[in-house]
Amino acid sequence: MEMKELIRNIQAGDKNSFRELYEAYADYAIRTASAITRNREMAKDAVQETFIRVYRQIGSYNPELPFEPWFYRILMNECLRYLKKESALSKFEHPDLENDPSLAEESFDHLSDLYDTIQSLDDMHRIPIILKYVRGFTEKEIAEILGLNHNTVKSRLFKGRKRLKEQLDPIDKEEGPQ
Amino acid sequence: MSNFDERAKEVFHKRTEQETIGLQDEIWNGLEKELFSEEKVNRGEVQTMKKKNRLIPILITTAAALIIAFSLQTDTGMAFMKGIKDIFVPEKEITQSIEGQDEKTDVNLNEGTNSQYIIYVDETRYKMIKSDKADVITTIEPLPEKYPEVTMEIRQVTDQKPVDLVKQIEVELKEEFPELRAVEAVTEPVEGYLLYGLNGSDWDAKVVQAYVISNGKEGSYIITENYFLEAAEGHGARFHYMLESFEIVE
Repeated sequence: MEMKELIRNIQAGDKNSFRELYEAYADYAIRTASAITRNREMAKDAVQETFIRVYRQIGSYNPELPFEPWFYRILMNECLRYLKKESALSKFEHPDLENDPSLAEESFDHLSDLYDTIQSLDDMHRIPIILKYVRGFTEKEIAEILGLNHNTVKSRLFKGRKRLKEQLDPIDKEEGPQ
Repeated sequence: MSNFDERAKEVFHKRTEQETIGLQDEIWNGLEKELFSEEKVNRGEVQTMKKKNRLIPILITTAAALIIAFSLQTDTGMAFMKGIKDIFVPEKEITQSIEGQDEKTDVNLNEGTNSQYIIYVDETRYKMIKSDKADVITTIEPLPEKYPEVTMEIRQVTDQKPVDLVKQIEVELKEEFPELRAVEAVTEPVEGYLLYGLNGSDWDAKVVQAYVISNGKEGSYIITENYFLEAAEGHGARFHYMLESFEIVE
């Protein structure tokens, strides 16, 4: 079904169309929320709340405009709301990656190092990187989703990647050609 | 794509896949419970009921408020307006989703011409101009010339029911909006008919969103929102939230 038609059906209260929309967008939404919140339960709540908002506020969405930026703005707000809520409970507490049992079971191969290093960045640089690599959004789309200037996103992505390379460089050297 | 990009993409794909197994079904079950658990077989009926009976409680409440007001005061000529103010708070805070972000806004009670309806207006951004023909909600300061009209007009037609009037409005709007969408029956933000038209795909393409609803008697209200494409999630969304507060009080 064409997107505009799908949206119009949802606006008219059609549950099957809502299910169709859910099937189309849930996977990447869950992956993105999981990467941002670094917590399965929080990701679940953020995505569920996002779809509830989408369903209830679909009347304020204009089907003539692209759906994804609107959807991801809601998702981002929900993820950040949950993160903020959690940080209020445990201020300044960062996820203890080294003692995370799911990580301890894994071998710390190259990819895991990269993932952990990305996740250790501050949110300002971490979130644009997640949007870029999880869903493949362009800089322009990321700017739209986060309500930032295009150049700001460009600069944050550049700095984030630079930091990552700096941090990963010693690893690369160690594991480089012997 | 650079080696780094490929690795980053791969690592996110692998990790998020491991960490989200089973979540898609779990979330859908939660959504079913939250959004559809009390749903009747015919959802339309449920939604319609939501606004269909709106007028009756308001009439009862209005009558009760007037009786109380009359019994407390000797001034028999007390204005009907007082009754309205007794029922609706003059100012309240609402949460509206603008461009995907929740925003708390103070809105103020406004009465339409002859106090036949009320609507809460975001008076930090808009003003209501009343006249005999129609009431218009528009930006406090006029927009620069390059922007198309941004208004929400509320007009009453006392002798034509929505079902008849909507056809006439459709013909009128089609002159300026040849690709006007087919008439839709809606229950939100008001219950009635919706006519939606868009004049192009540029940022300043004109948008018209007109609702034709019953006035509770033999007539109709035509509520016409005019804005432009780029303002759909801004002015368009704000008009939508204001219109949600629209109530007929006569």
